Amino acid sequence: MRIRNLFAIAAAVALATAGCGSGGGGASGAKTINWWTWDDKQAQAYQTCATTFEKANPGVTVKISQYDVQDYFTKLTSGFVSGNAPDAFQNSVQYFPTYASQGQLKPLDDFIAKNRFDLSRFSVGVNSWKYTDGKQYGLPLDWAATAIYYNKDMLAKAGYTAKDVESLTWNPDNGGAFDKMAAHLTVDTKGRRGDQPGFDKSRIATYGTGLLNTGDYIGQTTWSSFVSTLGWKMSDKDNWPTRFNYDDPRFVKSMGYFRSLADRGFEPKFGQFTSGNGQAIISDIDLLGSGKVAMETSGSWNVASFAKLPKVKVGIAPTVLGPDGKTRKVLSNSNGNNIWAGTKNPDLTWKWVSYMGSDACQTMAGKSGTFFPSIPASMDASAQALAGQGVDLSVFIQMMKRGELYPNVVHTNGAAIEAAIKPQLEAYFSHQRNDDVFPGLAQKSQQLLAKK
Amino acid sequence: MAAIPEQDAHAPAKLLATGTGTAGGLGAPRRRPGGRGAGRRAGPAAARRRDAPVAWLFILPALVGFLVFVAYPTLRGVYLSFTDFHVLTPPKWVGLANFRELVSDGTFWHSLGVTAYFVLLSVVFGILVSLVTAVILHRLTRSTVIRGLILLPFLISGVVAALVWAWMLDPQLGIVNIVIYQLTGHRILFLGAGGWAIPSIAMISIWKSMGYNAVLIFAGLQTIPEQVYEAGRLDGASETQMFRRLTVPLLRPILVMVVVLQMISSFQVFDLVQVTTQGGPANASNVLQMYIYRKAFGELDFGYAATMSLALFVMLMAITFLQLRIARANESDLS
Repeated sequence: MRIRNLFAIAAAVALATAGCGSGGGGASGAKTINWWTWDDKQAQAYQTCATTFEKANPGVTVKISQYDVQDYFTKLTSGFVSGNAPDAFQNSVQYFPTYASQGQLKPLDDFIAKNRFDLSRFSVGVNSWKYTDGKQYGLPLDWAATAIYYNKDMLAKAGYTAKDVESLTWNPDNGGAFDKMAAHLTVDTKGRRGDQPGFDKSRIATYGTGLLNTGDYIGQTTWSSFVSTLGWKMSDKDNWPTRFNYDDPRFVKSMGYFRSLADRGFEPKFGQFTSGNGQAIISDIDLLGSGKVAMETSGSWNVASFAKLPKVKVGIAPTVLGPDGKTRKVLSNSNGNNIWAGTKNPDLTWKWVSYMGSDACQTMAGKSGTFFPSIPASMDASAQALAGQGVDLSVFIQMMKRGELYPNVVHTNGAAIEAAIKPQLEAYFSHQRNDDVFPGLAQKSQQLLAKK
Repeated sequence: MAAIPEQDAHAPAKLLATGTGTAGGLGAPRRRPGGRGAGRRAGPAAARRRDAPVAWLFILPALVGFLVFVAYPTLRGVYLSFTDFHVLTPPKWVGLANFRELVSDGTFWHSLGVTAYFVLLSVVFGILVSLVTAVILHRLTRSTVIRGLILLPFLISGVVAALVWAWMLDPQLGIVNIVIYQLTGHRILFLGAGGWAIPSIAMISIWKSMGYNAVLIFAGLQTIPEQVYEAGRLDGASETQMFRRLTVPLLRPILVMVVVLQMISSFQVFDLVQVTTQGGPANASNVLQMYIYRKAFGELDFGYAATMSLALFVMLMAITFLQLRIARANESDLS
């Protein structure tokens, strides 16, 4: 009896899992194009393009799916393996070379030539999507940068003006002006500030700064905008590097400073607002919105969400200046639109992808303010539309015009590098490892960048 | 003196039993129809020969299932563990290279340690909790409703259980931490701190499997004759003594099965980790299955992932075999 029950249950479980696997097959009959993104707001924004596209192409359905960024790339890879990946998808530069080297991406050169699709319409990001074979594998979807978002009321209460944040400097030794501001903005549950006597760092009501101590191996919206003001560069070469400079003394010193911020209670401790996988349980937006932090660095794609926060008035400032008081360096990233090599409808998919890369669609979707279009005219339109809603993009546009943006390094083996580096950085920030971790990280990156 | 009337009393019953037995034995052949009787008389070998096609017909579906879904994948997995395989390009034979990598892969050994720690916690505490629950159930109630209720967590999918627990244990919003914060003024990073991650996941796993194990043990308890406890009570044994000296030894075969099952399923833990921590923070909960999955589906290194799976398979086989041998699971003290 017992054994039989066991088998019955096992069989039921097997059936249930088998049922899960069979969904979401390929298109047949009326044609469906599947497009994936990891951004819920962009999924919404591009839905307007999808509707227009469907009207212009009767019988075609565009199905936009969104999966959280933590699972997105594994889900995509499983899709490649099992043969039901989406026809086209948003991709990150970090994963592009791996997919291209595995033959999973369709080169777009033939389509571009046949359609006389003009790549010069994009002002940024085209080269990030060129692989080592010289072929173009993606159209840039957007560009992104980082800025400091702050709670206007909290800053005013602490006696700071917008100008103070906009010209904030820092250094890796004692943090400089940035550290003083973070300390002063931190308030414990009894109302004492971080730089006042009796401050209790174990009971914090508001942290002066958001998370800078994350395991993200490029520190995109966190430490990169600080460390790069010191002249530090992520890698030995701008594209297709052989080594990441995790062992550079400037980098090591900076990480030590970010860790000390948390130790002194001015920044949330590692894991406090994130789950075990480093994923934010409370988003950047809610951290500022709930008054848990007074200022934080965050991505440009959040600009509209910050502006729409109820009760909290959010100011935007460019990222910090280096110790010299004039160097500002902001990592800019262009996501791309890729076509899966295994798509059953390559021509139709290209039609959709090229439509997404058109002025019309970019302007329409860009108005949502959830991303910055790579096409200048669309960017202007989206800036204008957002200004009407009270969202000011000038900080980002100025950073671009002043040439303070630098592109993300295009490199191989992103997934493996992330898997190797992230736990080590997390161990460092949670005090399980010390400075001795960094030479190993650089070595590991060298080893993985060399691997084909 | 007392023994004699007892013997007397039993004697007629025994006689009666043998009497009916003989009557049935003699009567049966006479009642059988000729054809079938003749077949039987032809000898057991012939009968087996004739039954064989039917038997094969019945075995066939299971056999096909086994060959297609178990034997072939296992053999292919073994083959792949000797190759460099990225799924989308054909596998390349590399001999023992993957095994050499395995031996020097610190993360693999770390993951193995993490898995062993998880297995230890979830088996020891899981079995203890289930055993106590089952015994209490057995002594106090016969209600199928309560037995059904106990089984509920097992019926919830692992993903759902993990999600709900992750929310409840959340440092800022989770109900568990809100209570802890009210009591102590501190929050515990159940899934966010290295030292807590594995115990927290083990706790979720125990909560989930407890009911199922308890029901198995409960069924085992019902096979223990009431007389044993009566005798115990007559001899003046206390409830705890009876539990230790009677229940546990007589339950051994069931307990061994539950331990083996729990151990194997704990070694294979994946869903709980994938949903709650994805192996973090800093690899603190990077169990072997998680690492294998990441290597395979995250980094497309299927060859090496197959090697690790093979290693896990061999280890599980060895552990199960040892356990069954040491615990003499096929013998019961009842007979």
